[in-house]
Amino acid sequence: MGYFAIIKSRMILLDRVTKNYNKRGTALKSISLHVEPKEFVIIVGPSGAGKSTLLKLLTREEKPTSGKIIVGGIDYETLKDRKIPLLRRKIGVVFQDFKLLPNKNVYENVAFALEVVGMGNKEIARTIPKVLDIVGLTGKESSYPSELSGGERQRVAIARAIARQPKILIADEPTGNLDADHAWDVIRVLEKINKYGTTVILTTHNQEIVNKLKRRVITIRDGQIVSDKSGGKYK
Amino acid sequence: MDRRLIGLRRVTISGIKNFFRNSWLTIAATAVMVVSLTIIASAVVLNVTAKNAISELSKNLQISIYLKDSASQDSINQLTKELKSNKAVSSVTYISKAEAQKQFNTTFQSDPTLVAGLQILGTNTLPSSLEVSLTDLSQINNVGTVPSQSKYNDTVDSVTIGKTDVKKTIDRAASAQHFITLTSIVLAIIFGIVSMLIIFNTIRMAIFTRGDEIKIMKLIGATPTFIRGPYLIEASMYGLIAGLISSGLVLLGIFTMGIKISNQVEFTKTYNYFTSARIIVAMIFGLVVLGIFVGVFSSLLAMKKHLRLKTW
Repeated sequence: MGYFAIIKSRMILLDRVTKNYNKRGTALKSISLHVEPKEFVIIVGPSGAGKSTLLKLLTREEKPTSGKIIVGGIDYETLKDRKIPLLRRKIGVVFQDFKLLPNKNVYENVAFALEVVGMGNKEIARTIPKVLDIVGLTGKESSYPSELSGGERQRVAIARAIARQPKILIADEPTGNLDADHAWDVIRVLEKINKYGTTVILTTHNQEIVNKLKRRVITIRDGQIVSDKSGGKYK
Repeated sequence: MDRRLIGLRRVTISGIKNFFRNSWLTIAATAVMVVSLTIIASAVVLNVTAKNAISELSKNLQISIYLKDSASQDSINQLTKELKSNKAVSSVTYISKAEAQKQFNTTFQSDPTLVAGLQILGTNTLPSSLEVSLTDLSQINNVGTVPSQSKYNDTVDSVTIGKTDVKKTIDRAASAQHFITLTSIVLAIIFGIVSMLIIFNTIRMAIFTRGDEIKIMKLIGATPTFIRGPYLIEASMYGLIAGLISSGLVLLGIFTMGIKISNQVEFTKTYNYFTSARIIVAMIFGLVVLGIFVGVFSSLLAMKKHLRLKTW
């Protein structure tokens, strides 16, 4: 198989990617990484190891200093700035702090993501119940984020991220602020989404989750991949 | 519905919501813009009024050259020609003795004894004359010397240069017009800058308070147009509303104060001009467009500085 054929068959491909910050030094040192479609990948590593930088490179919030990044067939090197919004529509992102809009209720928070991409109101009204069903929040449409538990809020954030049916879902420490029960609620939703065919990239500090999930685990330390094992464990 | 149309509708609704969200800032921004636009519009109106009044008054400011009864037609023609060759002269009208008589009769219609008195004299004692109108009033004394030359001694009986009180009025009006222009330019610049700063700040605050929303919008794939749109709409709303209010104020001024002087001959034309439908529409339209331009320009500056759409 030639280079380009390999590229096409991968959902995510990083080829010798390095990221230097002028002030903070090197965040990532020549990282190479493949992720297949529909894969569930967990990225672990201590704070400051470069996990966040890696995710920011994937969402194109940062540009690599050198190396090649291709996501869903899009080569970031040739991607024009004005096409970034189109790329972002293919990638769903979930954060540790949820980033919900406090003055919008559950329905509006999810609808917001669809409005932004120009979906009509009727289509939005058809889509949202399905999405809320997936994350188990049916009946909470008119609740505001302040009325929800942390786990519920995170599931709203996931609903918002998957409403546009992205090919990839990036979850950056989604369980970081949650107690164990709620954390597992969120992880189960992620597994469900993965089962429906979305590639999931999850970063976490939670050893128990990593060990129980038995998925591919990539460990990053000091900007380098130190291990990459399927069915891996937290070290 | 087309996606673009849906987007446009959402951007507009969101912009209008932003406009009403922070009412104090909205009122302040709109009020300052109303002041600036009103100053600009009043300056234009006062300028046109002064200019028209001056030209109307200037009609009264003529040089009358009274001719001797013995003056030859040739010498009158020569004098007319010389006057017309002067750049400051707009027209030279010959008033014959008969016409002078007619004018005298019309002017003193209400005083039959005076008219009768003149008839008693038998012959027409009124002299023929040349009435000289000017384009450049500052040249009036200069032009006045033309008929006083010695070669016209046999032609010209006497020369009357305008009514001096009219000249004074015109001078006053001209210097007032000058003052109005200068003051209004300075005030318009000051208030224009102030309203730009306030709108700049309003939009900047809106961007800061909605920082999370903007960040989320970027991450979920909103286009720059979709993010910018609401702020442009919000800023345009300041322009639209301020334009409507200020044109309303200026028109109110014209209809309440202007009407009081509209029957004075110097102002009639101006009043009719500013109260014609065409000019009213043009004024409203012009002020709204100017307001929107100022709003959009300052919000673009604020977005360029604070929205950071370059870094995604």
